[in-house]
Amino acid sequence: MKPDGPMKLVADLLDLPLIDSEGCYCGIVDDVEFSGSKELKLKALLVGAGAYSGRMPRWLYRILTKVAGDRVTRVPMNRIRSIASAVTLDCPGSELGLQRSEKTAAKWIPKWGAM
Amino acid sequence: MNPLELTLGIMTAVGGFVDISELVFAAKAGSTFGYALIWVFAFSTVGIIVFSEMSGRVAAIAKQPVFNLMRHRLGLKLGLVTLLASIISNLVTCAAEIGGVSLIMNYLTGAPYLVMAVVLTLLIILSIWVLPFKWIERIYGLLGLFMIVFAAALVGIHPPWAKIAAGFVPQVPHGLSTKELMTFGYFCVAIVSAVLFPYEVYFYSSGGIEEEWGPKDLLTNRITSILGMGLGSLLAISILANSAQLFGPANISPEIPGSAALEAAIPFGKWGLILALLGMLFAVAGAAVETCMANAYSIAQFFGWKWGRHKKPWDAPRFTVTWIALFVAALLVVLTGINVMTLVELAILFSILVLPLTYLPLLLLAGDRQYMREHVNGRLAKGLGWVYFAVITVAALSAIPLYLLTSGGNG
Amino acid sequence: MLILAALLAGCSGSCPEADLQYIKQARSIGAEWALINEQANANNLTPTYVTSMHVWLRQQLQTSSTSLTKPDSRYGKEIQALLQQPDDVAPDEIRAHVARLKQIEDQLESA
Repeated sequence: MKPDGPMKLVADLLDLPLIDSEGCYCGIVDDVEFSGSKELKLKALLVGAGAYSGRMPRWLYRILTKVAGDRVTRVPMNRIRSIASAVTLDCPGSELGLQRSEKTAAKWIPKWGAM
Repeated sequence: MNPLELTLGIMTAVGGFVDISELVFAAKAGSTFGYALIWVFAFSTVGIIVFSEMSGRVAAIAKQPVFNLMRHRLGLKLGLVTLLASIISNLVTCAAEIGGVSLIMNYLTGAPYLVMAVVLTLLIILSIWVLPFKWIERIYGLLGLFMIVFAAALVGIHPPWAKIAAGFVPQVPHGLSTKELMTFGYFCVAIVSAVLFPYEVYFYSSGGIEEEWGPKDLLTNRITSILGMGLGSLLAISILANSAQLFGPANISPEIPGSAALEAAIPFGKWGLILALLGMLFAVAGAAVETCMANAYSIAQFFGWKWGRHKKPWDAPRFTVTWIALFVAALLVVLTGINVMTLVELAILFSILVLPLTYLPLLLLAGDRQYMREHVNGRLAKGLGWVYFAVITVAALSAIPLYLLTSGGNG
Repeated sequence: MLILAALLAGCSGSCPEADLQYIKQARSIGAEWALINEQANANNLTPTYVTSMHVWLRQQLQTSSTSLTKPDSRYGKEIQALLQQPDDVAPDEIRAHVARLKQIEDQLESA
């Protein structure tokens, strides 16, 4: 599916995994951003726990964001190569500000011993 | 299809079939109801074959693991409920497996149980850290083949084969009181739960992605599911039949996991005992690995993190931190001193409650032409899938009432 | 709801029926203990396994004993007598206790 073609927002897009140009998972489509007033157009995909707010009860959102933070990363539609069983990007995820928590977690992992 | 790879895959599945719950419930089922529950094991095995084959096919064709697609199918809220339920179920199961492995090491070496729990958890973590995915699977699965001693023991005690064969026919024993009937019902539910544990499907599907399965691997997937699970199930049935022959007439209802090893000791002596304990050790340790990794896969896939043991641990940092943290959490549960049999019963209960949430998305995904194209569920897979879904839903609804009414199957 | 109500309305306080599951457990543990000692005497088991199983079985038996609502009953005293036995007691000795517990169990089940 092409990013600028017609699509079913919920059935085709929401909650799909994102895979960057290096083949790495870098998040899930948690929400979408529109532009325009008369004619709505998809502007960006939103990734991160902060994007859950419209999709769940407030009490649950507060608990989740206390644990996972409330960061939201924008993935502009022009950086999307294709949409199928995953959304593939045309660049590494780190270029768009994705995978920041991976870098934090990586500080705790020693780089030795694995075959 | 590489014959060696296929054979190793089947043998790995056979050696990895039995876990602590199947061990305990097979022995108890045999001692309590003779051969009358063999058909439930056989029936449940067909179910796990159907769902394993589906999950492998989804991995090979959609190129996405079940939990990724599950969130997309169910949405965020229901997906979160399924994730949370599955984390709790798998965590309790992992704790039961770690407790089981520690008990078995105590039987083998005499070393203190809680010390063994810490040592073995560290060793298992180390093995996952050091070894590539395929070696992790193979080592635990192939060493679990020591469990074949139970099948050999069954031959060695010259059981009534006609009665064992009759046990494969669906039946309810005659002349049971109401309480005994409910206990029989509880055992049916427990065996369905133990054989169809959700972690098996999550681990199998993620393993298919780790090994980069594609359409060319569909036949391997099918053969491994059918033969691996089918032959593995015969080991569980051997434990049941041995128990029916040896424990039932002696009025023994095995109360601790170590009792099952007597089944091999009686015909074969010390060597039978040692082989049985070694088989149990690796089979249950392998199950501990699978339950923990299944949880880590589910969490990483649900939130879109990098995941997989085909990467080095530092290349998928959040996934690595997650599986280590889950092992530590399971160890802490064991260190509370809770009885392993209690953990097994809780694992069975939590698992059966989660089963409908686990298998419904898989059924829907495997039947969705958008993901599966021409490899969508055929009539047989579709029919069997929905029949088993109905069975596990009924089992899930009746699990807690039956558990309470029968004092956990103790009558 | 009905099932929960039935459970709550059922045998409350102390009564032999409430102890039935513990009598069964104790009977089973005793029978297993006898089997282990029999197999140990036939040199079919490793000493480490036998020692471990004795420890775990005794722990389970103790749990059954302390869970009884009527510890001074006939079955309570039978379980206590079993607990007093040394680990390597003769299998026939244990089986005598097991037979008595089975008799009590059958009486309570038919009541």
